[in-house]
Amino acid sequence: MNTEVYTIEGGDLARAGQASSRFKERLKRIGVGPKDIRRAIIAAYEAEMNVAIHARKGTMQVTIDTGQVDVEVMDQGPGISDTSLAMQEGFSTAPAFARELGFGAGMGLPNIKKNSDRFAIRSTVGEGTCVSFAIIFDPQGILRPAANSVHVEPDRCCGCLHCLRVCPTQALRVRDSTPQILEHLCIDCAACIEACETGALGMPATSAVQRPSKDTVLILPSAFVAQFGGGVPPQEVLGVLTAMGFSEVRPTETWERALQNAVVGYAHEEAGTRPVISPVCPAVVNLVEMRFPSLIENVAPFLSPMEAVCEVLGGCHVVLVAACPSQRTALLSTGLKPNVETVAPSSLRNAVLPMITTTPNAADRRPRQLPANTDSAVNVLQISGMQHVMSALEKAENGLLGDVEVIELFACDQACFGSPLLTEDPFVSRYRWARMGGGLDRNARAIRRQVPFSARTGVRLDQDITKAIEKLSKMDEVERSLPGKDCGMCGAPTCSALAEDIVLGRATASDCVHLPLHEDKTT
Amino acid sequence: MTLKNLACGIEAAILTNEAKAASVEIDTVCAGDRVSDILNGASNATLVVTNLNNMALVRAAELVEVPGICLLNGGVPDPDGLKAASENGTVLIVSPVGMFETCGRLYRVLAEQCKTG
Repeated sequence: MNTEVYTIEGGDLARAGQASSRFKERLKRIGVGPKDIRRAIIAAYEAEMNVAIHARKGTMQVTIDTGQVDVEVMDQGPGISDTSLAMQEGFSTAPAFARELGFGAGMGLPNIKKNSDRFAIRSTVGEGTCVSFAIIFDPQGILRPAANSVHVEPDRCCGCLHCLRVCPTQALRVRDSTPQILEHLCIDCAACIEACETGALGMPATSAVQRPSKDTVLILPSAFVAQFGGGVPPQEVLGVLTAMGFSEVRPTETWERALQNAVVGYAHEEAGTRPVISPVCPAVVNLVEMRFPSLIENVAPFLSPMEAVCEVLGGCHVVLVAACPSQRTALLSTGLKPNVETVAPSSLRNAVLPMITTTPNAADRRPRQLPANTDSAVNVLQISGMQHVMSALEKAENGLLGDVEVIELFACDQACFGSPLLTEDPFVSRYRWARMGGGLDRNARAIRRQVPFSARTGVRLDQDITKAIEKLSKMDEVERSLPGKDCGMCGAPTCSALAEDIVLGRATASDCVHLPLHEDKTT
Repeated sequence: MTLKNLACGIEAAILTNEAKAASVEIDTVCAGDRVSDILNGASNATLVVTNLNNMALVRAAELVEVPGICLLNGGVPDPDGLKAASENGTVLIVSPVGMFETCGRLYRVLAEQCKTG
């Protein structure tokens, strides 16, 4: 993440445009696609001109993240008494000098909204106006696609290779003490984040949680509210969040249950194959799409709970706390609605911590009455933890789970309670949530997917099958020349992975520490 | 069609970056006097035709990578605008006639080129 602030002088129409111009240079440098640059710049320029025309002075703050850019333009000026009127095309209060220059046509604010993916305006008469908008980059337009949400902090890497060994898809390499993620292989399961002790791997940081406006709804993983120790029951955390100013705080548990019921119903009435795999965990769906394409038809065609939440919520402003990188990627890849923004659990935690008070006898509180939902759960096999998930999918692929009706797989231990971005032990937080949690969401329901699941190219060696076969035989040949120790010292998790790297030009045989030096190491 | 040939075709004078005009290809024309419309309608292969004659317009055009701006009625360009255009590589041309007739000429030239391929 990268933030920069530009100042804008009011009244100086001749010089205005400089902030947008510098913003544009930055977008170009990171390789954003031309269409997205264009949208961002039109919106930024309109906002900048508004400050120059109407206000005494202002600032433009630009925050660039992997998948999007957030822009906030704040001014000290007269403010807008009726923002909905100002949003109408053609409405303008611009002075004559601005109109003469071709501005003040009443198209500025609508133009910002039209060109951005998220737009908000706050204004206080006599103080000023704040326009914020975001452009979500088209993943196909970006030169380096943001296919996943695992963020690397190279300075923190100690070269321990722990991440290398836990990655279920062999998507990591550690070379020159820097973890590299092969994005086409990464499924966002966060196993590497869990294994990393130095914090070199994590989720891209989001900006601090803004003070919510009165119609802001907060959606968060149930596990989040059970993260503050035994003296702070989940209801207390929900209370603090409400006190922060969110109009509603909704844990996703009800949505997960709605999905479960829908998948069980689907398994009874429609599905032809067994077991039916629930799409509850986006990382598992990614894994199926890449490693187990023959099981794609077993995945029930619904949106994951977080995606469903996004789909259903109407016009109100929504803040979503993604529990893990896979949720974040799933939300960003479908393109967030303009009124939705995501934050990392740590950002919200930092905002909540100062307001928490510990209640010593929290355990004496009455456990909640769980709603009767256990009918469907009997038919559901729940498996969590990547190792068990892999073994279950292998069994399913081999036809050994034909007796199982519905299978719910979670990449993390104890489902989302085990996300490495949360701090409490997964078993403990799940227990606390189950006893004390609250906040049922009456809107919760499962939603059918419009876009079907599809196999990922993933491990394919070349787009052209003939060349891929050639590369495969070359890879076999190289692999035979390697010692087969799978020691990881070369930076690849296995000798087979190094062989692939060599054939695809990502490494050379000299990376292997075991091959005798006198052998010809050029391949 | 190159911007230079297009300028010749409508009898407009080239004021800045004449060398660039010979290499820039134009495939659409965006005519208007509102900056918002021009921002939305123009691309990197657009000639902007406008009565606006000021530096702010030149800067806006630069942001959306518009290669050329056509001023109207044989107008004398605003000195700051002229300077900004020559510095940032925008081709400034001046048509001797007004908006309606300039657009008519541009249409005729571009349509003929389409016919002859």
